[in-house]
Amino acid sequence: MITLPTEPLGLLALAAILVPFGGAAAIAASERASAKWLCQGFAAATVAVIAILAMSLLGDGKVGGTYELISFGSVSILGLVVDSVSVLIALAVIAIGLLVAVYSAAYLNAGNREHPDIGRRRYYAFLLVFIGAMTGLVFSSTVVGQLAFFELTGACSWALIGYYESPKALRSAAKALLVTHVASLGLYVAAALLFLSTGTFALTAIADLAPGMKAAVLLAILVAAWGKSAQLPFHMWLPDAMEAPTPVSAYLHAASMVKVGVYIFARGLMSAGGAPEIVGWVGSIMAVLTLVYGFFMYLPQVDLKRLLAYSTITQLAYILLALSLSVFGSDLAFKGAIAHIFNHAFAKTLFFLVAGALSYTAGTRLLPSLRGIVTKSPLLGVAFVCAALAITGVPPFNGFFSKFAIFAGGFEVGAHHWALMVLVVIALAESVGSFAWFLKWLGHSVPGKPSTTMAAAAPLPAGMKFVLVALMAMTVVSSSIAASWLG
Amino acid sequence: MNGFLIVNGLSGLLIVSSLLVTLAGNPANSARFYALQSFILVMLFVALAGATGSGELYLWSFTALLTKVILVPAIMYRAFRRLSDPAIGTGAVMPTALSIVGAAVALILCFVVASKVTLPAADAIKPALAVSLALFFIGLACIVAQRNILKQVFGYCLMENGSHLTLALLAPNAPELVEIGIATDAIFAVVVMAALGSRIFDTLHTLDARQLTSLKG
Amino acid sequence: MTAMVPSILPPLLLIGPLAVALFLLTLPWFRESLPEAFATDTGSVTLLERIHLGSIGYVFLLSIAALIQVLSNGAISAFGDWLFVDALGAVFMMLIGVVGLMTGLYSIAYIRHDLESGAIDAGKVRIYYGFFSLFLFTMLLAVTANNIIMMWAAIEATTLGSAFLVGLYGQKSSLEAAWKYVIICTVGVAFGLYGTVLVFSNAADVLADPHQAVLWTALVGHAAELDPMLVKLAFVFALIGFGTKAGIFPMHAWLPDAHSEAPSPVSGLLSGVLLKCALLIVIRFYVITVGTVGAGFPQMLLLTLGLLSVGVSSLLFFVQQDLKRKLAYSSIENVGLIVVALGVGGPLGIAAALLHAINHSVTKALFFCSAGNVLMKYGTRDLRAVKGVLRVAPATGLLMMGCALALAGFPPFNIFVSEFMVFMAGLNEGYGWIMALCALFLCITIAGLVKIVADSVLGKSPETMAKGDVGWKALAPLGVLAVLVLTLGFAVPQPLSTLVQQATTVVMNGDSRPVVAAPWQTYDTVRAGGQLVTGSLSQTEISK
Repeated sequence: MITLPTEPLGLLALAAILVPFGGAAAIAASERASAKWLCQGFAAATVAVIAILAMSLLGDGKVGGTYELISFGSVSILGLVVDSVSVLIALAVIAIGLLVAVYSAAYLNAGNREHPDIGRRRYYAFLLVFIGAMTGLVFSSTVVGQLAFFELTGACSWALIGYYESPKALRSAAKALLVTHVASLGLYVAAALLFLSTGTFALTAIADLAPGMKAAVLLAILVAAWGKSAQLPFHMWLPDAMEAPTPVSAYLHAASMVKVGVYIFARGLMSAGGAPEIVGWVGSIMAVLTLVYGFFMYLPQVDLKRLLAYSTITQLAYILLALSLSVFGSDLAFKGAIAHIFNHAFAKTLFFLVAGALSYTAGTRLLPSLRGIVTKSPLLGVAFVCAALAITGVPPFNGFFSKFAIFAGGFEVGAHHWALMVLVVIALAESVGSFAWFLKWLGHSVPGKPSTTMAAAAPLPAGMKFVLVALMAMTVVSSSIAASWLG
Repeated sequence: MNGFLIVNGLSGLLIVSSLLVTLAGNPANSARFYALQSFILVMLFVALAGATGSGELYLWSFTALLTKVILVPAIMYRAFRRLSDPAIGTGAVMPTALSIVGAAVALILCFVVASKVTLPAADAIKPALAVSLALFFIGLACIVAQRNILKQVFGYCLMENGSHLTLALLAPNAPELVEIGIATDAIFAVVVMAALGSRIFDTLHTLDARQLTSLKG
Repeated sequence: MTAMVPSILPPLLLIGPLAVALFLLTLPWFRESLPEAFATDTGSVTLLERIHLGSIGYVFLLSIAALIQVLSNGAISAFGDWLFVDALGAVFMMLIGVVGLMTGLYSIAYIRHDLESGAIDAGKVRIYYGFFSLFLFTMLLAVTANNIIMMWAAIEATTLGSAFLVGLYGQKSSLEAAWKYVIICTVGVAFGLYGTVLVFSNAADVLADPHQAVLWTALVGHAAELDPMLVKLAFVFALIGFGTKAGIFPMHAWLPDAHSEAPSPVSGLLSGVLLKCALLIVIRFYVITVGTVGAGFPQMLLLTLGLLSVGVSSLLFFVQQDLKRKLAYSSIENVGLIVVALGVGGPLGIAAALLHAINHSVTKALFFCSAGNVLMKYGTRDLRAVKGVLRVAPATGLLMMGCALALAGFPPFNIFVSEFMVFMAGLNEGYGWIMALCALFLCITIAGLVKIVADSVLGKSPETMAKGDVGWKALAPLGVLAVLVLTLGFAVPQPLSTLVQQATTVVMNGDSRPVVAAPWQTYDTVRAGGQLVTGSLSQTEISK
């Protein structure tokens, strides 16, 4: 039976999911010229909705609740879970969605030096669907809801990565879809196992499972998470997905798609009420393997976007490592993971949009030919520095705080398990190494005399400036938002 | 008991005649041999009707006489007489001797299977039952091991005779409508195949199944 | 077996299309006596179209009427129980009605296009519409037959009725396809006849009245008394025989040829409905076999053949370059999946199989008709030549993208619902590995579907190609099918889920009632001491 939520929190959450879908329908029904304005309008409306939701939740003392949408008898089929975690992540998803929409309007036009374009309706419609699907995933209280939105985000990313319709872009798009679909089989297994042993799809039912079954369900979810979050052995789709228009890459890497994976795992652990240790071991070992792999893949990259892709892989490995460590009883690691999802979203969006701005104005994203960014365009140079420092976790930028929580949690549990300690130390070493590597490129590209490519760069459109400034501010303050919100 | 002996004896002749149909030089001759085989089948039905005292079977033999001995061979003879494709010869894929050995092997295997059937009605006529099954597979072999598409039609007819015989042996009291249904369907099948075969010959000027290879994969 | 209510509907349902077919196929004799307006070529085509519309509309309305009667009264029968429609048959009868109507409506625009482009002449139009009705009639006969010999005869007749449709264009390739179709299917179905004869002879020995031995309902009632050896043999024969017609590997060789060479609406009908009708007969034999020798033997066979079908066809699907051939292999794959679900068994498995049959039917009919639009625009099915459909014909391109996603099993399309159900049923019965293999093969299919969209639907269109979609007459029926594909993906409507439940009860020959719904829709379960009684819902709870 379909029941509409009557309480304001549930209604708002539902609205946050449905408004973008409505926007996509509106775009499909209107002219191309109005598509970008509709997209920004609906994205802004969604931000308003989620802001009110966040305020109301704060007013309620962050209690939240679960609101059933579709259920039969006593069994929840599709429902919304509104709590501090889901609202925080949804906030990032939607806010970055708006920023990307604004940036896209300035990026997809004839003035783009790398990819001149006219900004088709398809792009804006799928972007809105992407926002809606991602919000839906975040608020889902059942595995089936997660599964449906999981696949929907896959379909959206497919449409957007292949947007330029070059053979390579289409191949990369198909790769992203297929690899994540193979991984999604994990979620199918989890849904089926959960239903068959408890008779419900509600995530909270994981807590009622016998330990063996609980481990099976969580590991199945973990497999799906590896797929979306581009972890070993499913990592190969992400670097190729760089064929997407850069604002889409930013959204894929920062707030959607890859965050689907870590989020469903986090949600699964939250609902499990204590997970078997095997889940923690599998999760943390794979995370550290991915970390090391990702680091070594930094070294040969000269394309800024590909470098960022491997950086995303390692940052998500941190989050999965933290989540896995929380299995051993560290609440701090869990909070660090959630905060890192939030912080990384803003930092990585900024970095990608800087890359996009460089290719828009200078026509290239190859690092060796980009020099003296700050001299030519001070704003871009500063943004580059903010982004790099935030990603590598240098105070006072946001990355530092969440990474600190993760490592603090790691040493906490490492005190009891020497093997975990080894893993945490490896991760720490990687962190230092990647800082050094980013510093190298920072020193190469930002200061000094502009290279010929850079010197010929066009001025930055106003829309992009606005978005970059907003994101720079967030790289500093997002951590305190997350910290105060999560308490 | 004597009646069943005749039934089993006639069934042996069926194997011989099916080989003749399969190995005949051209489709028109196959049609003649097919009429012969159907005639033996009708005799067998009559003998079986006498042995089991089944009134329905007499009716069957009559309809089978009409359809299988007269109608179907006549249709095929008329349709196939004017079609000939000298390029494929007899169209057989295997040498004659091998075909006969193959038929013998099939017959032995069918005896083995038939001996396992525990139905009381089948006790007296197990050899004929084995023959009916063998007839079915000889028909199948005729389709698989033939390049001439018209001869493939005869393969189908043999298969159909085989199942018809099984039906008569195991259920002599079957309602006559059942039998008529099977017979009419077979006529339509032969008509459709003959029509298609003629169109293929008219359009492509060949009867060789190996020439029909534009669709693959 | 529950008592069957006598009804006039089954014979009425059959007589309409049969009369139309006979009338149309003998029409030239009446041509001179026609009113002047219809005596010309174009005039006679208009007349033919009207008669055709009457026929498909008639079949649709009566099949829905019969469906309603079955839902409210249980099984209905006529002619001394020779004809009957139970819930199981009603599922397939409904498919014939609905998909027949849509492909029939689509035919009008398609055949007109063929006529204008000179691919066929006015005489062929008459042949087409005549055999279309005949084809519908033979399929209806197959699903309403209670007499097992008649079932066989009807399946055989479907081959004969549709062979001329497959060979309609009279070209080398279409004649070849028609020939292979007829030979392989009649030979295959001859196996079916042998299986039928074995079951019948066996039952005639056991049952007091040989006239009863021919009725499926009576056979199911006395299945336990049949000879196990003979029934096993008969099931193997029937599975080979009717499985040939259903396109199960390794008897599928005719299918890609026939489906790709037939006119597109007929391809949709072949793939969407005919394969399912043959499956119905396999299911009917399955029920008898389970009654005699238990579920182990038939399920083992079904699982093996089903898995092989899914595996082989997914690979062949991927490598095809011909759009309609690709779709044909995808049909083999989906039939394979249905067979796997049957092999998995249990109420959930059977219900999943039936639901998947329905969903695939609608989706594949839509896809074949969309391919028909491509054929009308581009004049080729070669995917290397078909580029940029979305730009040339936006509505068709959108439909194809939707179809591809639906067939790939993405929510919120209907295939997701039934594939998910198959998957659940498999895990529930402990066939985890088989399900995992199927899921991997399905991933290969998804890759192939994505390739269709990436290479042919998207991308630049050839410069010489005129922009503009096919006419609304071709698009409207497809729109209706697309709405069905989406609706069934959001939720399985109440009457449909009741129907599938009842049909499952027929197959299980008992009173188990699986829950048929989209996973987000209405799963309810009974918890008994923490142990799940899977997918079964007792009568009392339904009445609540």
